[in-house]
This record gives sequence, structure tokens and C-alpha cells, in this order.
Amino acid sequence: MGTFIQLVVDGLSTGSIYAALALAIVLVNQATGLINFAQGGMAVLSAYIAYAFLGLGVPLPLAILVAVVASFLLGALAERFLVRRFERGDPDTAVVVTIGLLTLVTGISALLWGYNNLGFPSLFPLTSVEILGAVVSVRSLATTVTIVLIMVVLQLLFLRTKLGLALRAVADNPGSAAFSGLPVGRLLMVGWGLAATLGAIAGVLVAPQLTLTPGMLDTALVYALAAVILGGLSSPIGCVVAASAIGVLENLVAVYVPLIGHDLKIAVPFVLIFVILILRPQGLFGRKVVVRV
Amino acid sequence: MKISKRPGGVLGIVAMTSIVALSLSGCTRDGAGQGGGSGSSPGITDSAITLGITTPLSGATAGPGKCTVAGVSAYFGAVNAAGGVKFGDGKTRTVTIKSYDDAYDPQKSLANFQQMVSDNVFAATAGLGTPTNRAFREAAISQKVPQVLVMTGDPLFSDRKQSPWQLGFVPIYQNEGAAFGKLLSASKGQHKVAILSQNDDYGKGYVAGFKEAIKDASNISVVGEQTYEATDTSVDAQLTQLASSGADVFFNAMSVTPLTISALQKAQQIGWKPSWFLPSNTSSPTAILEPGGAAAYPGIYSVSFAKAPQSPAFAKDPDVTKFLSELKQYGNYPDMPAFPHCMWSYMVGATLEQAFKSMTEPTRDSFMTALRNIKDLKAPLMLSGTAVDTTVDGQPAVSSVVVQKYNGKGYATAENFG
Repeated sequence: MGTFIQLVVDGLSTGSIYAALALAIVLVNQATGLINFAQGGMAVLSAYIAYAFLGLGVPLPLAILVAVVASFLLGALAERFLVRRFERGDPDTAVVVTIGLLTLVTGISALLWGYNNLGFPSLFPLTSVEILGAVVSVRSLATTVTIVLIMVVLQLLFLRTKLGLALRAVADNPGSAAFSGLPVGRLLMVGWGLAATLGAIAGVLVAPQLTLTPGMLDTALVYALAAVILGGLSSPIGCVVAASAIGVLENLVAVYVPLIGHDLKIAVPFVLIFVILILRPQGLFGRKVVVRV
Repeated sequence: MKISKRPGGVLGIVAMTSIVALSLSGCTRDGAGQGGGSGSSPGITDSAITLGITTPLSGATAGPGKCTVAGVSAYFGAVNAAGGVKFGDGKTRTVTIKSYDDAYDPQKSLANFQQMVSDNVFAATAGLGTPTNRAFREAAISQKVPQVLVMTGDPLFSDRKQSPWQLGFVPIYQNEGAAFGKLLSASKGQHKVAILSQNDDYGKGYVAGFKEAIKDASNISVVGEQTYEATDTSVDAQLTQLASSGADVFFNAMSVTPLTISALQKAQQIGWKPSWFLPSNTSSPTAILEPGGAAAYPGIYSVSFAKAPQSPAFAKDPDVTKFLSELKQYGNYPDMPAFPHCMWSYMVGATLEQAFKSMTEPTRDSFMTALRNIKDLKAPLMLSGTAVDTTVDGQPAVSSVVVQKYNGKGYATAENFG
């Protein structure tokens, strides 16, 4: 029983990493209708920015704050000067552009900081507490709590604020949004900026555990995309639930289903996607898109 | 119209290539003609020899990769400054090192090898990486270019029948696993061992060597065995599972730096504190053990054949101080090396020098014969109990390793387990 609970707890903490990235992807999608494959790479760049300020002797919380602000600007600029040209065109082109952006951002990180693993200090101590016989590190607990808080804030932003409504309107129908007086361009920039901010938080939360390298979030991005598809592109709650479920399920299946084991567990979320998409194409928590004819 | 143009374009390229090739081969002949007569191999003249290193200088493995170039450059930089090497044919030559970045990409290393051939490199040496060295192994054999003292634990490179122009430098994976197995079997107590290994030749080699060494030991039992993929970002589930086996020794055949750090952190968090065995390339005190909080465990064991410059025990060692100053002066590497590859490639330099001294003709054949005839060479920086021995088929240049225990700062040789 102890092992079982430990596996669940560990799965939740791995899941929170996927969830952080998934939330940023959902945010961009809600605000611009795109899927941003560069989200992971941008998050890593943000973590490097924090790292650079740490190197200058800036205290950790301040360095993170600087990175968060810088990321907002970088995200907004990336939207304005790069992605804008492709937003209203073929979605496939836009996807390729964001993949290109991923390669570019990773390359920039590598150029400036190299590929060596760099240690990144954590905001939270490495001590652990015992819950129901399972050992939970304060760090992963705090990470999970932070992610859940962000999720709640996002959900409120989208459903309860004017800004959220405007962002959704622009993503849904930019033409009508513009006619009703919304500053479409600025809102798109805000959407990307907010997503980059979120990515920055995700980056500095996971960097202590994964150690900072340009490709730090590449694998996590695959899982995050799985969580987004599974939970529904339009639902912050959905993608957090899906990410946690993926983390837990992966662990349990690897240990208790000998046929799959640790070597095949990466297939689990994708088999799950396959099944869910057949049964419920909009994802577990997604809104069904209804078109009036 | 375009179609009719194409053959012309291709022809042009072919013509250009032939001209380049001709002029290159012309250069070769000129070089050889001015040098050691008609019989000498490319890349060697009466006054110089050129060696090539293809190794990752960018990408995730750039840290160790840069070390492979720095160590050899440091060694020969000092040798050249003192006048050069007196070869077995009586001529004194300086050694030139050309480095090529392959970013740990097998396709690039193959292209780099072709580049070396056209750059008139005498031999490829010291490059790091199993897949990258494998990628041009066959080309090296068919073009009869030595690919020697390379940094891979793959036994293929030390099999003379399959790899006539190759020789590995570092101990093969099995050597390392066996050394730890032997130390453990010789201990008095009963030990339960949990094994976690990378699901490839690397992990399997370690485990095979270890199991072979403990197979007759009645005091050692393996109570849990798990694997992971080199691309995994977490092994928490495996550790939780292995912790429940109650093992007091943990054999962790892992090659990924961040995973090793997080494994060290995770096991102590869940209250599992066994003695650890870690492979030589993931046991760096500064890069892995300190961030992983390794001091919490009763013992961290690894194997080595090189003196660790960061260890206080060797701070005043003459080998180490000479090495560090040459690394700074000629290797363009001013920092304290975080990876053992700097020391290893420095020893590669010493081993090559030994072969140069006894090669009687300026040819690749003569070089290979000389290289395969080195015994009991105590290269600088080698730990006592280890030596270069290139005479045994199936074994790399260094097959002797010493098990070491982490002492909170660096490593010290461990006579007994516990």
C-alpha cells in the first residue's frame, strides 16, 4: 500500500510539470487559436534569463520576477513580429512557424549558455513531509499548489473578466471582435505575453529538478500536448486534471502491468488520447464547437 | 529548358569535385615527397604529424567533448614546446591536432571523418561517443585510417578481428561493472542489491559485468532489477519500486547527468539510503554528487583510473599540477575540469607518444603495430594499480580500474566495501 500511494504522489508531482506547460498552451490557444510548439523552448529561455540575473547577484525571487516580466515582453514581441504574419493564414503554416520558433529559441539558449546542465536553485526547500505513508517533497508539493493556483486564476480570467471575454472573442472571431471595437492586435499580444509569463513560471519551477539545459522541456512538451488534447483545448481545469492523470497512470501501469513496464510507459498517454478522441472528440472537459448553419 | 540544363550542372559539379580531388591528392603527394619519401602515409612528414579528433563540441555532450580535445592538445602542446617527439625512425616531429565538431550526431561524425581524410589527417583519435565512433568505423577500416584510443566503452572497438584499425581507450562497460562486483563479493557481510540500468548496450554491459563477478558469491543476492530509457525525465517510479525491495546496495548503471542527480535526491527523500555504485562518467563530485546531496548515503562508489584534480588528496600531486597548468596554457581550458575526459585524453596523448617513439616507419601500418605493443605504461595521472596495456585482444587500452569511494569532496581508493 505504501508503494502504491508513493507512486500516485510521484505521478502527481510529475504531472504538475506537464500541467504547467499545458496551461500555457491552452492560454495561447484560447487567445489566438494557435498551438504554440515553442512554448517549452520559450519557458526554458525564461528560466535562463532568471539564471543570468542570479549570476549577477540578484536574489532568486527578484530574478524570477525579472524573468517573468521579460518573458511577457518577449512573448508579445514574438506574436507581433513573427506569428502575426501567419495567424490568419493556413493553420498548418502557423504550426510549422511555431516549430521553427522552438528550434530558434533552443538554439539561442544553447548559443548563450551552452548545453551543459546548469544547477538552478529552488524557491522551496528539498525537505519532505509524510502524508498517508507516502513521502512528499515540499518542493513538488509547492510546485503542484502553484500550478493549481495559476489554473484557478486562468479559469477566472477567461470566464469572469472582461479581458478574458475579449481574448476569447478575438480568438473566436477576430473580424467581429474588431467591428465591436476591440483592439485585436493588442489583445493577441497580451495573450502571447501572458502565456510566456506562465511558461516562465513553469520553467523556473521545474528547472531545479531537471537542471537547466536548452532541451529541458522537450519531453515534457510531448506530454503537455497529450494533456491538452486529452483535457480539451479550451479548459484549464481539464488540462491540469489530464496532466495529473497521465503522470499517475504512467507510474501505476509501469509498475503493476508487467507487460508494459517502464520501457513502454510513454505509450500510455497516447493510447489514452486515441480512445478519448474516438469517444469524446472535444476532449474530457472541452466545449463542443457548435456551428450554426 | 531547365531539364537540359541539369546534366550540365551535374557535370560541372563532377568536374569541380574531380579538380578539387586531384589538387588535394596532388598536395598529398607533394607533402609526402618533401617528407619521408614515397612510402609514408598521408598526414606525416619529416617534421610533423597531424591527428584528427571528431567529438561533440556543441550540444548536450559538449562538456565532456571539449575535454577530449583539451587534454590531447595540452599534452602535445607541452611536448611540441619542448621540441617535439623523437619517432622510432629517428626523426623528430611536432604533433598538430585538428578538431571537428560532431555534436554527438553520427551523420556529422561520418562527414567529419571524410573531411579528415581530405585534410590529410594521419589518424583519428580521442573522440567521444559510441554512436558517433561507430558511424565511421567501417569507413576507417576500408580506407585504412587508424581510429584509435577513442572514448567509448563499446567492446566492438577492441575486437581486433572486427576492428583491425581501431582501439578503444577507456575501460569497456563490463570492466567497470565487474570491478564493483568483485569488491562487493569480497566483503564479509550479506548484501542485497537493487539494479537500475539504462535500456541499451551501455546499461546491459554494466549489468553483465557486475553479474558475472558476483555469480559465485553466496553473500550477494540481487533483489530487484529495473530499467529506464535514456530519454526519460524521471525514474521516481523505479526508485520507489526498488526501495521496497529493502536492498542495501544500489547498482545504478545510468549515463544521464540530471537523472542521476534527481535519483540521488529522490531516494533519500523516500528514506531509502543504500550504498550506491555509479559509472565513471556519471559520478563527478561537483557536477553530480554535490547537487544530489550524496553525503546522505553510507557510501558512493565509482571506478576510476585517473587522479581527480579536484580531490584534496591530489592537490599537490606533481602529475596533477603539471596537467592543470598545461591544460590552461595549451588546452585552452582554464577551469578545473568537471569531467574525467580531460584527464583521459591527456593520457591518450601519453599513449600516442609512446607509440610514436617506437614506430619504425612513417606509415599507418607501422603505427598500428607500435600502438598494439604497449604494456605497463604508467601514463601521467594514472592511479596506482592501473596501467595502459594494448596487447590483449578484446580489451581496450585501459582495462584496469580501481574502485573508489566518495569522501564528501572527492574520491579515494576503496580497499574494502563498507
